[in-house]
Amino acid sequence: MLELQGLRQTFNPGTVNEVRALQGVDLTLDEGSFIVVLGTNGSGKSTLLNAVAGSFFLDEGRIRLDGHDVTRWPEHRRASLIGRVFQNPFSGTAPGMSIAENFALAARRGRPRGLGWALAPDLMGALRERVAGLRMGLEDRLDNAIGSLSGGQRQALTLLMATWLRPRLLLLDEHTAALDPKSADQVISLSDEVIRRDGLTTLMVTHSMAQAVAYGDRIIMMHRGRVVHDFRGAEKRRLRQEDLIDRFDEIRRREQLDEGAAAMLRELYV
Amino acid sequence: MTLLLGALTLGLILSLLAMGVYVSFRIFSIPDITTDGSITLGAAVAAVLLVGGTSPILATAAGALAGAVAGALAGVIHTRFKINALLAGILVMTALYSVNLHVMGRSNVPLLQANTFATQGERLGQALFGAGPLHVLGWPVTPGDLAVLALAFLAAVAAGVTLYLFFRTDVGTAMRATGDNPQMVRALGADVDRYTILGLALSNGLVALSGALLAQYQGFADAQMGIGMIVWGLASVIIGEALTGSRSLGLALAGAVLGSVLFRLLVAVALRWGLNPNDLKLITALFVFSALVLPRLLARRRGGAPAA
Ligand SMILES: Nc1ncnc2c1ncn2[C@@H]1O[C@H](COP(=O)(O)OP(=O)(O)OP(=O)(O)O)[C@@H](O)[C@H]1O
Ligand SMILES: [Mg+2]
Repeated sequence: MLELQGLRQTFNPGTVNEVRALQGVDLTLDEGSFIVVLGTNGSGKSTLLNAVAGSFFLDEGRIRLDGHDVTRWPEHRRASLIGRVFQNPFSGTAPGMSIAENFALAARRGRPRGLGWALAPDLMGALRERVAGLRMGLEDRLDNAIGSLSGGQRQALTLLMATWLRPRLLLLDEHTAALDPKSADQVISLSDEVIRRDGLTTLMVTHSMAQAVAYGDRIIMMHRGRVVHDFRGAEKRRLRQEDLIDRFDEIRRREQLDEGAAAMLRELYV
Repeated sequence: MTLLLGALTLGLILSLLAMGVYVSFRIFSIPDITTDGSITLGAAVAAVLLVGGTSPILATAAGALAGAVAGALAGVIHTRFKINALLAGILVMTALYSVNLHVMGRSNVPLLQANTFATQGERLGQALFGAGPLHVLGWPVTPGDLAVLALAFLAAVAAGVTLYLFFRTDVGTAMRATGDNPQMVRALGADVDRYTILGLALSNGLVALSGALLAQYQGFADAQMGIGMIVWGLASVIIGEALTGSRSLGLALAGAVLGSVLFRLLVAVALRWGLNPNDLKLITALFVFSALVLPRLLARRRGGAPAA
């Protein structure tokens, strides 16, 4: 379904701000798999998702999605295959426009837009029904500006928008991180429900170990622009939060060891 | 009365400019100076065609189309070549100054003998009401002036309604969202660059339409007529927002028309009271400046005050 080969990306190359955000990522996602992406801050998780979505063009590597080589496709073209929810609740919706108008945009993701009436009656009918399914009481407020809603409501709606037309790939980047615990629970279980119901191939970044063990069927752990662990199948199902924390500690210890060794070498030879 | 009628007609004609500025400034948050060049371009193209005997409708449409092309050009420079929107507008505006002189062949084209929407309006008025002056609320007005006002009103309403309907279509909705949240629009599969180009074309098309009508109403096109027009458009939009209070699409468009008319009335009254016409642009600029700054100052005052 999604095939990543040797992805490399360096930001601000040759300057003091040089960051090697991706240093050779290879990853293959099977159709319908739900992958949780873990990793320390700055390990390249968002960069990986942005690379897949096409927010920038890679320095190196190939991306195949749903049988197409999309490496050189611009972001808006890839959007025909990809649904996205961002970390920031403000990113996924147009605040000045109504709930209904936001969905009218989502209902034409990857399709040509013409002079048809945006708020077509059949869309409104389906919308009212699906939004009522959120049990947030928003079905009576479809004409309200989406900017007037809470972060949790906006993320739930963004998720619904991203999956309104079944995407071939769903990208969730810490989409519950900016929410209060209750809203976060609501949004994550809604995500799981939609992903299962539609059998969506999904990449979900999170910092929550609880989410990582409770959801998905595979976990990859990133560090310094690489995939350093890959748990799947029975191993993923057996995994507990403590195991994940152990792995993080291990990465951190190795890091300190590396730094210690570097310091020693510097002392000896410089 | 003639003064009032004139101010109303001018306000309605320039409401197309205000709607154009609303599109670029409020929907795309781009202060698009192309406006100053494209209003003249619309006037120049229409004037030259009218002098050559083209029908007013065709000449006006050609003027609008030329403005749309200029706007699209500014959009291309801004999006494809990654040049700051303000600078892209300045470049196109500057280039248009020469283009306009070339189109007109000199710096001023009079339309005294030409058949324009204004002369047609006058003929229509006389056909309907006869040649003598009519009495509206006890004031004498010529049927011709009244008919021209009616035509300007029709043009403003037609443009406003068309624009409103357009912004409710799939393309129009995507265009509005582009100004609101480009990241989301990209994620939903729309080409932000393309919609920005389209939006600036639409904006400048409206502006040039306004210019084409303005030239016919005042009876000439002039290379200097565009100077400061964007600020006049901004003033109208801001007055309109103060009048209608809301930022909803329909009200905002209606507000732009009302704002433009009210602005012209204010200007007419001020000139009547002896305002030096040379100070008009200075005062308009000061007005727009304070309208942009005041809300922020008030908010800071309110935010800075200790909570009661
Ligand atoms: N557009 C960019 N320009 C420059 N540097 C960037 C850019 N995007 C990301 N980076 C850098 O690349 C590195 C990886 O960032 P990324 O956002 O992918 O990390 P992350 O794993 O998502 O971290 P977090 O858990 O904090 O979200 C960071 O050092 C970041 O500063
Ligand atoms: Mg991140």
